[in-house]
Amino acid sequence: MTTETKAVLDAKDFKGEVHPDWCPGCGDFGVLNCVQRALAELGLYQHQVAVISGIGCSSNLPGFINTYGMHTLHGRSLPNAQGFKLAHHDMTVIAVGGDGDGYGIGVGHLVHALRRNIDMTYIVMNNSIYGLTTGQTSPTSGEGMKTKSTPFGNPEMPLNPLTLALGSSASFVARAFSGNPKQAVEIYKAAIQHKGFALVDTFSPCVTFNKVNTAQFYRDNTYDLNAEGHDTTDLLKAMEVASRDTYASGRIATGIFYQNPRSCYEESEKETLAIPICDHPLGLSSAQAEKLKAGFR
Amino acid sequence: MSKKNRVIVRIAGAAGDGIASTGELLGKTCSRMGLHVLAYNSFQSAIRGGHVWLQMAIGPERQLDHCEQPELVLLFNKTSPAVHVPDVKSGGVVFYNSGVIKKEEIEAIRPDVSYYGLDFKAMVDEAGLTGVNSVMINVMLAGALIEALKLDKSVPLDFIKHKFTKKGEQVVELNNSVFKLGADWTAKNVKEKFPELKGDGKPKLFMTGNEAFGLGLTAGGLKLYSAYPMSPATGILHYLATIAQSEKIVIKQVEDELAAMNYVVGAGQAGVRAATATASGGYCLMVEAVGLASMMEVPAVCIVVSRGGPSTGVPTKQEQSDIDLCIAGNGDSPRFVIAPKDPEDAFYQAARALNIAEKYQVPVLVLSDFFLSEHFTTIDDLDFSKIEIDRGKFSTEWKGPGRYKRYEYTEDGISHRVRPGAESAMYTPCSDEHNEFGHVMSDVEAGLPHARQERIKMHAKRMQKMKTMVTTGDAQPPSFEGDKNAEFTFMTWGSTYNYAKSAIEYLADEGIKVNHVHFTDVYPIPREKTLAILKQCKRIISVEANMCNSLCTQVLAQTGFEVTEHINRWDGEPFTGEYIVEAFKQLAQTKQLVNA
Repeated sequence: MTTETKAVLDAKDFKGEVHPDWCPGCGDFGVLNCVQRALAELGLYQHQVAVISGIGCSSNLPGFINTYGMHTLHGRSLPNAQGFKLAHHDMTVIAVGGDGDGYGIGVGHLVHALRRNIDMTYIVMNNSIYGLTTGQTSPTSGEGMKTKSTPFGNPEMPLNPLTLALGSSASFVARAFSGNPKQAVEIYKAAIQHKGFALVDTFSPCVTFNKVNTAQFYRDNTYDLNAEGHDTTDLLKAMEVASRDTYASGRIATGIFYQNPRSCYEESEKETLAIPICDHPLGLSSAQAEKLKAGFR
Repeated sequence: MSKKNRVIVRIAGAAGDGIASTGELLGKTCSRMGLHVLAYNSFQSAIRGGHVWLQMAIGPERQLDHCEQPELVLLFNKTSPAVHVPDVKSGGVVFYNSGVIKKEEIEAIRPDVSYYGLDFKAMVDEAGLTGVNSVMINVMLAGALIEALKLDKSVPLDFIKHKFTKKGEQVVELNNSVFKLGADWTAKNVKEKFPELKGDGKPKLFMTGNEAFGLGLTAGGLKLYSAYPMSPATGILHYLATIAQSEKIVIKQVEDELAAMNYVVGAGQAGVRAATATASGGYCLMVEAVGLASMMEVPAVCIVVSRGGPSTGVPTKQEQSDIDLCIAGNGDSPRFVIAPKDPEDAFYQAARALNIAEKYQVPVLVLSDFFLSEHFTTIDDLDFSKIEIDRGKFSTEWKGPGRYKRYEYTEDGISHRVRPGAESAMYTPCSDEHNEFGHVMSDVEAGLPHARQERIKMHAKRMQKMKTMVTTGDAQPPSFEGDKNAEFTFMTWGSTYNYAKSAIEYLADEGIKVNHVHFTDVYPIPREKTLAILKQCKRIISVEANMCNSLCTQVLAQTGFEVTEHINRWDGEPFTGEYIVEAFKQLAQTKQLVNA
């Protein structure tokens, strides 16, 4: 595949060579389309972007998009993406994956990525179920939900990714729904443009294994928080909405919950990152070598 | 001979007594005078309290060994005499803090050494010094030590000045005075003479293995280092953090070892030279990401500092039992394992590891151990001009011809690597099996005939790199030193090199000839060249700081050659030349094992 030479790309220029192998009707198709549209609308070229995932159905996404990327290990999209970003910070880096990947096995990385605030975006395709392993409970499965691993109902309470993020010094917290592409594209664009780590929890229904949190369920139970005049700079308000408007309330908020323009990690290393470290010359001058050796005499 | 005009010094006390700083003062004094030192720091996993000691060999030649019996001992606390006086060489000298150690008690331990108690409080009172703190006994004892060895006092005084300048002129003066009190007292009271310590006047580099690793990585073009603290690997992080800004390296302490290694893989994929380091247990958490680097063919370097296991094991003690761990991982997984022998070698091997990682697009594990990483030694000089940067088949642009294939099949197994960001070369490496473009083959295509063929070819391509490492000569056979006709051979790897060399010197004095085969590259081991060396040896005895002979296991697995006589140590203390000589004699006496 070659790079388009035209000045402005559209979403289909970001279409990969491999056709997605998701189940027909999977929410992830919607997320893929929205990411492609967001990139095109931001005027980015394919070679300027890296999409980096872990393991799971949704983590196959980097294979279906025409950008650079990495399809790594279960739960490890974030450390790979952060290492990549620090090495080549002029590229746009987007980590993607599922709720098992990001809120289960990889949640330790998530909380630290949030407080570290490297300039990148993380889209979690949240379907409240383990799909690739054929239907077990996930960290966001509701209490009482019957799955293959919890045939008598899930005895555990779900994790709230938004309050978790807000409590981890997140600088950008949002929620989208793959069935509302217009809103999702705008949120993804804002997340990519945000100078810092942006978490976008995205409802992306599993048509095969989750018969509770379906596309219809989200259409019936979500509302656009930003249309109601929510103040995205108010952390306490964001915490309140994120705690209140959950599955249990029957009224689930989507949109940008919180955005804080605090300086991103890269600004703490301004001199080292004046140009991307992947462009630094390698090796030391003899003057540098002598200076380092002098420290040991 | 490293033994010529050598003096062995031991400094012991509680953690927090200033054992390390006294050792550093002595070490730097010697190294600036152009003497050689080697210091073994025997500490525990405790920040305060606990009993620690440091033993240093000092002499005009490069020191191989910290040895068993000290000749000059400084004892700081009450528990010291019972532990250390029995070890002193007959006729040796013991300085002690008589403020806490009773004269009658220490002198009752044995009659054949000389005791000198320094009463810190009485001495500073008599000298009319005010504002002194009792912890400054270490400065006083350092003065006594430097005087007893007749070393150049201007060097430690300079060092004190440098160290305390930021605390003010008064503090510098006070330390100087206390130092001189100890030195003057010794000049007046101590009769014993030690071998004259005369350096060559050329200041040496004085560093730990961990510092040498950090310096070598830096010289080799390191740009990103991510790590999670774990003894005995943390020294690398500490050193690199001090030079991060001046050398423009991103140093990142991350949340765990999983993150540390995955950061390295991400950064390596983006096109920088990246590394991490950890200890044995931390490496267990990295194994999956090392396999990721093997599968995605991303250059990655990890320094694995071995300590006793299994599990948390023996955190701050010596052991060499992790070759198998470095080779382990799910599936057949190409990689390279290097075991440097001492800090000087650590410098060059760290830089070499970065080259091999890029040339073969594999993870490289640099296998260190507690002793190598944490002990101080002098190095005449490090030649940075010997460090060449070889990035292998790598470019920042792609000009074709044709569609870029990241995993193109090649004879040597190595495909051309284009740095992400290049126009027209987009690809996504994956942890699943893939085709030449990097497309996943394991989902809907798995098991189909073409996918089976692709699996065979792609897996063989990756593993071909292990063969290429041998045919290019990058994977080196063991070194051979000594008389070919010697009746015995010591076979070693990693940091055991110098102890074995020391033992060989002792045995030569007794007329016993032992030659030496030493492995630095432990995976892959080039079979033919290695067999040629091993087969010319008469009776091979392996010397390893472990219980289960991990080098012998690898030599057998990789060459088919079996070594059946072994000297092992796994009590946590490093070998000494004397320890190996003793074990060798027992082995020779019992004759429980026959010639191979």
